[in-house]
Amino acid sequence: MFDLSGRVILVTGSSRGIGRAVALELGRAGSDVVLHHRANPAKADAVRTELTKLGVQARIVSGDVADPAAVATLVRAAGEWKGRLDGVVTTAGIYRGDASHQVGPNDFQVVLRTDLEGTFRTVQAALPYLRKSVRPAVVTVSSVLGGHAGVGAVAYQAAKAGVEQATRALALELAPRIRVNAVAPGFIRTDMNQAGHSDPKFHADIVAATPLGRWGDPDDVAPAVRYLLSLEADWVTGLVLGVDGGIPLR
Amino acid sequence: MTDAPPFSGKVAIVTGGSRGIGRAIVAALASEGADVAFSYRKTAKEAREVVAGVERLGRRAIAVASDAAQPDETEDFVQRARKELGRIDIVVANAGISGPTGWEAVSAQAWRETLETNLVGAYSLVRAVRPHFPATSGSVTLVASIGGLVASPEQLPYSVSKAGLLSLTRSLALALAPKVRVNAVAPGWVRTDMTASLHEAAGPREKIRRAIPRGRWGEPDDVAAAVVFLSSDMARFITGETLVVDGGGSLSWRAGVSE
Repeated sequence: MFDLSGRVILVTGSSRGIGRAVALELGRAGSDVVLHHRANPAKADAVRTELTKLGVQARIVSGDVADPAAVATLVRAAGEWKGRLDGVVTTAGIYRGDASHQVGPNDFQVVLRTDLEGTFRTVQAALPYLRKSVRPAVVTVSSVLGGHAGVGAVAYQAAKAGVEQATRALALELAPRIRVNAVAPGFIRTDMNQAGHSDPKFHADIVAATPLGRWGDPDDVAPAVRYLLSLEADWVTGLVLGVDGGIPLR
Repeated sequence: MTDAPPFSGKVAIVTGGSRGIGRAIVAALASEGADVAFSYRKTAKEAREVVAGVERLGRRAIAVASDAAQPDETEDFVQRARKELGRIDIVVANAGISGPTGWEAVSAQAWRETLETNLVGAYSLVRAVRPHFPATSGSVTLVASIGGLVASPEQLPYSVSKAGLLSLTRSLALALAPKVRVNAVAPGWVRTDMTASLHEAAGPREKIRRAIPRGRWGEPDDVAAAVVFLSSDMARFITGETLVVDGGGSLSWRAGVSE
C-alpha cells in the first residue's frame, strides 16, 4: 500500500529538514522527485544522489518561494521536466521566534511572504501541471503552532494558521480533481529549530510536554505526507493531519 | 512496498468485522500481514466469509459472536483473541449501530442502546485489551464519524456517540502514552449496509454525492486504508488525532451549494 511508483512530485525546501526526509520517503515509495532549494545547492545535490541510489529520478530547481516571479520560474521548470506534476509538497518555510516587541518593520512580512504566500504561489503556479496528472494531490506544511498557541513567533503562527485555512479553501476550490491536505508537525529536530532542540532546558521541556515522550524526527513526518499523496487517500481532502506526538492534548 | 508486509507477526482485534467498514478493515489489516480476531453480533454467515477471505491471504482469523454493548462479552472476545492468536498489537473499535432517526422523540432506551454500543463499547474494548499490549508498542483506532463533528439532528444519539468517541480518543491518547497510540477515523458518507437506504435510492444518493467535493460516495476501502496507516509505523508520531475521511464533505456549507 501507499505506493507512489511512476509519480512526479515537487517538494519545495527539500535540501534539508522535513523536506529532505519527504523527498527520500517519496523516492522509497517509487516516485520521481523534483528537489528544490533556495541557496543550498550542495545539500540538494546530496539528496539527489541518495534518490538516484534508490532507483528513482530526481532533478533540482531553485529560487526563493517568497518571490512570486521566482516561484513561477521554478515550478515551470519542475513541471516541464515530465510535462506534469502528480504531487506538490510545500515544505519550504522559515521560522522567526522573536517576542513581539522585537519584531522589526519588515520581519512580519518576510515570514508571511515565505510561509503563507509562498505556499499559495507554489500551488497556483503548479495548477497547469497538476491538471495534467491523473490523480493530482497537494500536501502543504503547517505546524502545531498553526492551530495551537505558543509564546512568541506571532508571524510564524499566523502564517501557519493561514496555511491551514488556505489548505481547506483550496481543497474546496480545486475539487473534485485535485486533493489538498496539510500536515501539522509538532516539535521536530531540524536545522530550522536547532536553537530550540540544542538548548538543554527547552529540549527537556518539550520531551516532558509531548505525550509520546520525545522530539520528532523528519522521518516521523515524511510517511504522513506519503499517505496523503497516495491512492489510498483518494477520499481524503481538506484535512490538516497533526504529526506532533500528541503535544496539543495536554 | 517491496519489503515484508508491515504487520507480519502482528495480531489485530476488530469489533464489528463481518460487514461494512469493519469487514474492509479486517481484510486490509490481513493483506498487510496481520492475523485478525474480529467480533460480530448476528451476521454469522458473513463472518464465516470474512474468515475464509483472511485465510486465503495466508493469515489466521477468528470470528467471535460478541455484543459490543456488553462489557463481559467484550472481555471474553479479547481473552479468546489473546489465547488463540497469542498477542494483541492493533486494536480497532469499529462496532456501531445507527440508532433511531429524528430528534424529537428519542426514548431513553434508544439513547442507552446507541451510546452503550458505539461509545461505551469502544471504551470497554480498550479497557479489556490494555493488559495485553506489548511492552513497547501498540495502537488503537476508534471508528467515529463526521456525524460527531457536524450538526446531525436527524440521527441524534448516533452523532452524539460519535462526538463522544472523538473525546475518548484524545483522553485515551494521553492516558495510554507513550507506549500506545490512540487515534480516530471520522468517515463521511460511505456505501455500506448501514447507509443502504440512502445510496440505493437515486434521489438521496445524488443529493449526497453532490455535497461531497470529491464527487463520489466513499467506499469501505477508503476508510480501511486510513486505519492501516494509523495502525502502522508510518504513523509512529501521531496520537490523539482524528483523520477525517469524507471526500471533503465536512469542509464547508458551500460543499452542498450547487454552482
